[in-house]
This record gives sequence, C-alpha cells and structure tokens, in this order.
Amino acid sequence: MKRWLGPLATLSIAAIAAHWATLHYAPSVIMDRALLALKDRGIAEHAFTTPERITPQTQAVVRSSPDLFYSLCRYDLSQEGAVLDVTVGQWPDYQSLSFFDEATNNFATIRATGRNAQTYLYFDDGEQNRPDSLIPSPTKRGLVLIRRLAPTQGTFRAAQKVSEADSCALKTP
Amino acid sequence: MMGTIIRYSLALIIGSALGLSSALYMAGLWPGAKPLDFGDVEVDGWRSDFAIGSKSADPYTRARVARHGLLALAKSEAVYFTRTTDDSGDLLREECDYRMVGGKMPANWWSITLYDARSLLPMNEDKALSIDATSITGDPENWSVLIAAQPPEQQVDWISSRNAGKFDLTLRLYVPDEALIADPEASFTSPAIERLSCEGESQ
Repeated sequence: MKRWLGPLATLSIAAIAAHWATLHYAPSVIMDRALLALKDRGIAEHAFTTPERITPQTQAVVRSSPDLFYSLCRYDLSQEGAVLDVTVGQWPDYQSLSFFDEATNNFATIRATGRNAQTYLYFDDGEQNRPDSLIPSPTKRGLVLIRRLAPTQGTFRAAQKVSEADSCALKTP
Repeated sequence: MMGTIIRYSLALIIGSALGLSSALYMAGLWPGAKPLDFGDVEVDGWRSDFAIGSKSADPYTRARVARHGLLALAKSEAVYFTRTTDDSGDLLREECDYRMVGGKMPANWWSITLYDARSLLPMNEDKALSIDATSITGDPENWSVLIAAQPPEQQVDWISSRNAGKFDLTLRLYVPDEALIADPEASFTSPAIERLSCEGESQ
C-alpha cells in the first residue's frame, strides 16, 4: 500500500495542475485560433475590415448576429511606444466600439450612438505614465470591434458607407 | 525500479487526463455538454451569464464564454439570454413548429436569433434567422412569431429552423434598462415558446 502513496500524490497534483492550466489557457488558445481564423479570412491588422453581411454562408465567429454590422481590426502593440488610433464615423442609431484582449476579455467599450468617436489604445506594461484619456490594453495583441445596428440590407449598406470614416491606425514613435 | 517508473508515469498520465477532462466538463467545453444550460440568471427558461465580459467572471465562465460567446459585450452594454427548451421543457428541434409570444423588452433594442448546436446560424437561405425590435410587424407590446422549418402559409413573422437540428434561441438586449441588470426576474417578462406540432405527430 505504501508504495502507492507517492503515485497517488503525483496523480492528485497532476490532476489539479492540468485542471488549472486548462482553464487558464483555454481563452487564450481560443482567441489565438480566432485571430488566426480572422486573419485567414482577410481581417487586416491595424485597419478595419468589414466582412460581408452575416449570413449562414459568411459567418466567421460563433453567435454572430445577422442584425448587426460588424467591422474588425486586429492589433499588435509589441513595438515599444506604439499607440493604436481608433476612430468611428457618425451613425444615427446604436453603435459601439469594443476592445478584446488575447484572453477574450472585453476590457473597454465606447458607446457612440448618434455620434462619431476617437480613442487611443496602448499596451499597459505597468511602467508608463499615460493620460487617462488613453485606453490601456492588458495584452499586446487583441481585437477592436465596431457594432452598428443594421438589421436590413439597406441599413447595412448605409453602415458600410459610414465605415469609410472608420480608422484603426498604428502610430509608432 | 521499472515498476516504480511505470506507477509514476501512469499516475501522471491519468492525473493529467482527469484534470483536463474535468476542466473541460465544468467549463461546458466537453463534447456533448450543454454549455448554454449554465449561467447565473434564469427567467422562465431563458438563461444568461451576467458575468460575461466582466473581469470578475470566474475562469469557468470565461472559458465557456470564450468558446460559445466569443466577442460578447459586458452587461452594461448588452445582455444575452439563451433558451434551449420550449415551455414544456423539451429541447427545441427542427422537427417541431413553435409559437413564440412576447412583449415590450427592457432595452433600447433587442433581437432574437436562432443558432444550431454548434453555435452557428443554420445553413439555409431562408433569410429568416432572427427577428428584432424593428422587424416585428405586429403589436410591439404583444407580438407573436412562428418558429418552423417551412415558411408559414399565412403572413406572420417567421424564424426559420430549417437545417438547424437541435437549436437554441439567443435574445440580445442592447443598452438594457438598469432594472433588468439589478433584478432580472422582476423586470423581465420573457417570451413564451409554445410547441404547436412535431413531424410525425398526429394533429
């Protein structure tokens, strides 16, 4: 019996470690795969890309809404001092600008119903003194997403037109 | 010596497998698990995770949301409710027709969308996979929608379940009322889903 004590302790420790590691890394692995899939589907880095209207044939992300206009921008703030300059055009109905880090967390959202908006994003390494008006990104890579209420083909086209004023540009020192 | 190595190796392999599978199961990521049956809020069968998008979400919720609600917003911006069963408690499925009845929603805008078991829009070309506050043709405070695999013979609002298999419905409430977030059970009269008939059943 005694000779099984060591293996049983090893089994318990391995189970706890694997359980914790799976939970800890699952969001990052899922987001990494999602970013890769979006890249493969032509979603640009440091520029907004507007996919086609969401249909069963065009959907790229689970649980996308066919009633919304989505515009996506992948970002990478690895370069020291880099800042992402994000602007959304004016839209008369609901629109929002949301930011997601590498672990899928929605760390910031700006609602811009009936107006345009501009903000800046930087990688929060905990050492920089930045103005409060800038948004800190918890991770170097992530995703910016514009949602606009556009439930019909007509409003979707109008949202596409407005998207010409959207920008997602990397500024480096 | 060889016996000891084998015992410890087996312990490592079995322990890792147990840890991995228990995490996947508890986070609703295990194949066959029903992740949408989790959640911390339920109103008449409509379930929601109000922790979605917030930093306070526990690791199980975050893992589940990452898989099934990727890029979802925090509750201050949008609230998501999901329903997998009809009013009798049976799973929603393509073979059956349903009548969904609802009223005014506690939000600036809302929509209800049908997704298949893979959390995707079912592969059909009916252009009828959702309804929203702007598309409802009836009384916005007392509306009715048919959920069926075939288009309705009469002029009624319709959500197509063609090629959906077992499906669920996701209700999005954008810019929700504060009362909904504070006390969803008291402030939200959720849509009812009545099963009308099923394929092969006598009428």
